[in-house]
Amino acid sequence: MNQNLYAYAHAEEFPAQALLRLRTDLAVKPVAVLDGRPPMETICSLNRLARLKGAVPGMTRLEAEAVPGLHLLARSAETEAAARAVFLECAAHFSPRIEPAGNETACACVLDITGTERLFGPPETLAERLRDALASAGLRASVAVSTNFHAARMKAAATRGITVIPPGSEATALGRLPLDVLELGEDPVEIFAIWGIRTLAQLAALPEADLVARLGPQAVGWRDLARGELPHTFQPIEPGFSLEEFCAFETPVEQIDSLLFVGARMIDCLTTRASTHALSLASMEVQMQLDGGLAYQRMIRPALPTIDRKFLLKLLQLEIAAHPPQAAVLSITLSAQAGQSSKVQLGLFTPQTPEPSRLDVTIARLKAIAGDDRVGSPVLVDSHRPGSFRTESFSIVNQSGVRNADEAGQTHPRMALRRIRPPTRVRVQLKELRPVSFFNREQSYQVAAAYGPWRTGGCWWSTEAWDSEEWDVLAESGSGASVACLLVHDCTHNHWQLEAFYD
Amino acid sequence: MPSASALRIQIEHALERRFPAALTPMPRTIRETAATGIPEIDHLLDGGLPVGAISEITGPVSSGRTSLALAFLAQRTQEDRVCAWVDASDSFDSESAAANGVSLRQLLWVRCKASSPAAKPTTKPWARPDLSRLDQALRATDLLLQAGGFSALVLDLGSIAPENGARIPLASWFRFRQAADRTRCSLLVLAQEPLAQSSAAVVLECSLMSAQSAQQSVLTGFEYQVRSSRAAHPTTLSIAAGRRKPPAATWSATAASQRKARA
Repeated sequence: MNQNLYAYAHAEEFPAQALLRLRTDLAVKPVAVLDGRPPMETICSLNRLARLKGAVPGMTRLEAEAVPGLHLLARSAETEAAARAVFLECAAHFSPRIEPAGNETACACVLDITGTERLFGPPETLAERLRDALASAGLRASVAVSTNFHAARMKAAATRGITVIPPGSEATALGRLPLDVLELGEDPVEIFAIWGIRTLAQLAALPEADLVARLGPQAVGWRDLARGELPHTFQPIEPGFSLEEFCAFETPVEQIDSLLFVGARMIDCLTTRASTHALSLASMEVQMQLDGGLAYQRMIRPALPTIDRKFLLKLLQLEIAAHPPQAAVLSITLSAQAGQSSKVQLGLFTPQTPEPSRLDVTIARLKAIAGDDRVGSPVLVDSHRPGSFRTESFSIVNQSGVRNADEAGQTHPRMALRRIRPPTRVRVQLKELRPVSFFNREQSYQVAAAYGPWRTGGCWWSTEAWDSEEWDVLAESGSGASVACLLVHDCTHNHWQLEAFYD
Repeated sequence: MPSASALRIQIEHALERRFPAALTPMPRTIRETAATGIPEIDHLLDGGLPVGAISEITGPVSSGRTSLALAFLAQRTQEDRVCAWVDASDSFDSESAAANGVSLRQLLWVRCKASSPAAKPTTKPWARPDLSRLDQALRATDLLLQAGGFSALVLDLGSIAPENGARIPLASWFRFRQAADRTRCSLLVLAQEPLAQSSAAVVLECSLMSAQSAQQSVLTGFEYQVRSSRAAHPTTLSIAAGRRKPPAATWSATAASQRKARA
């Protein structure tokens, strides 16, 4: 029977790493993360550059502000939750059995990698690939591999880089580690300090019976831990797959470029995560917390699911430009719905149609120019009201064969109208209840022929009621130009209006 | 005695500094055409409107420009092609389009909006400028042509005053022509006067001839006249053979009820 094999991935200084993951501009600067209630905030996490500047965990805000060049960020639970989800998702690529670990300032998980050699190679290779996968997600982690769960956990937490402990060498590998890695509590540590026991090797060398006699039965577990022999019942979890990224800004953002800088990184992460599951992004929801307690929410739906980063970023840019937030932005959340990657079968003899992704960008740009509700496909409304219509979003997906029987085969040209929106009021002279002339914008028209009236009416039960008489009119202007138009007499309000020209 | 071709080469060689290829005929561009669905106009244009070029349909109000454009779109959409209508004055009537046989689901309609007179310049970094209808229409046309994939695009400037239309820079028309050529899109410009000048491959002048009525009580249709004032690119070689084409064609558009009665 094969021995169990565990890989432990440990990302230290996780509050700082989670915040810097999407803020690549701050990655090269000394950054410390403050936690706690103002004004009693203290540094809970910091990056390597901040340590070099002299900052240490536990410093108060005043002390931290005295460190020159140190950027201070507030701890964000939402950012850490999103980063933790990404961490577990990366780990899930290597093993379906994962047990989360970690503490307040570190994110960690243990992978049961028993039997994965044929998939990923020897443990060293797997550890390297796991570390690289986490690094590509913006997280720096150390990895340790061992046949003992706790040995891997303690080794990864205490050392950096990749460590593979050969079977049977756990005690040797853990020997030099300090007792702190056991997380014993204050009393036992004090006793061991009095005894002069500082490393795991010294603890492992103590006789078991004497240890139990002095510290109680729990000391057996400590000794087994130090020897890398304590057994563990693995409790795997099912890591959920949710495509969501969150970023909070330390100062309110007003510039769209700054938003897009962060948005680009978030889209990058979302598409990478989706593509690792052989999925695409079918829709993307943008949520923003605005200054003054306002909220902002928009939905971006490409015509086809895609993982094209530039395309999604362009859609995001156009959406924000078309619907700018009403106040400065405090935080941004991008959540996406996954969809199957699109497969389009092209044909040599099919008519040319716009490329779906490019058409999306074009329509978004058109909406930015003309307005949201002014770009789309016209749709006839089932109503007798003249000129009624609505618009639907234009899509070319699955369009072939949508024409109905009335449309197909219609070849003879018919009279067409050019609507005047809104209709213009005109003054009409009547003779024997028929129009004989009318005035439109100081231009007089003599009616040569008037056909009508055609009475229409409807919706008398509601406020949208209409009652009108239509006249098809052939008229000549003062300059001799002939026009054919549609004059309407609104019987409800008793006025005439020019609704359309025949053209 | 030298042959004609040898003489031609000799003359061209002597004049090549002043007139390169003086006696060699210019290469002809044989353009693909698309039928408008109106036999009289297709006959006038030797097959229809050119594909990948600008066609101008000009004339005053009630001269049949819109009916002609809708007939053309009906033909294109019935071939499962995608078309667009850039409506500078928001005058497109979807009922007329449907009655003419245009498949509305395959038509992208861009309704330009009137710029608000009360709009004030703002200092917000992401505020959008307030564009006039004509500017919106030109930008929308540019975007759609550059996007590609549209078989026909109607730029409806029919209600724009000719003096405003004349202000459209020639560079814009040149760009439209290039883009239409590259994307194989038939760009139809509806206007009161010709605007695109040398960029237009075909210019049609429309006018209203007469109205038809039934018993002097119901308007049943119109008879229009279309005159081809210019065709930059001959569509077939038959023109070179000297066959004269009629200068104009007449066609009629009827009411939907008349069509049903005939059927």
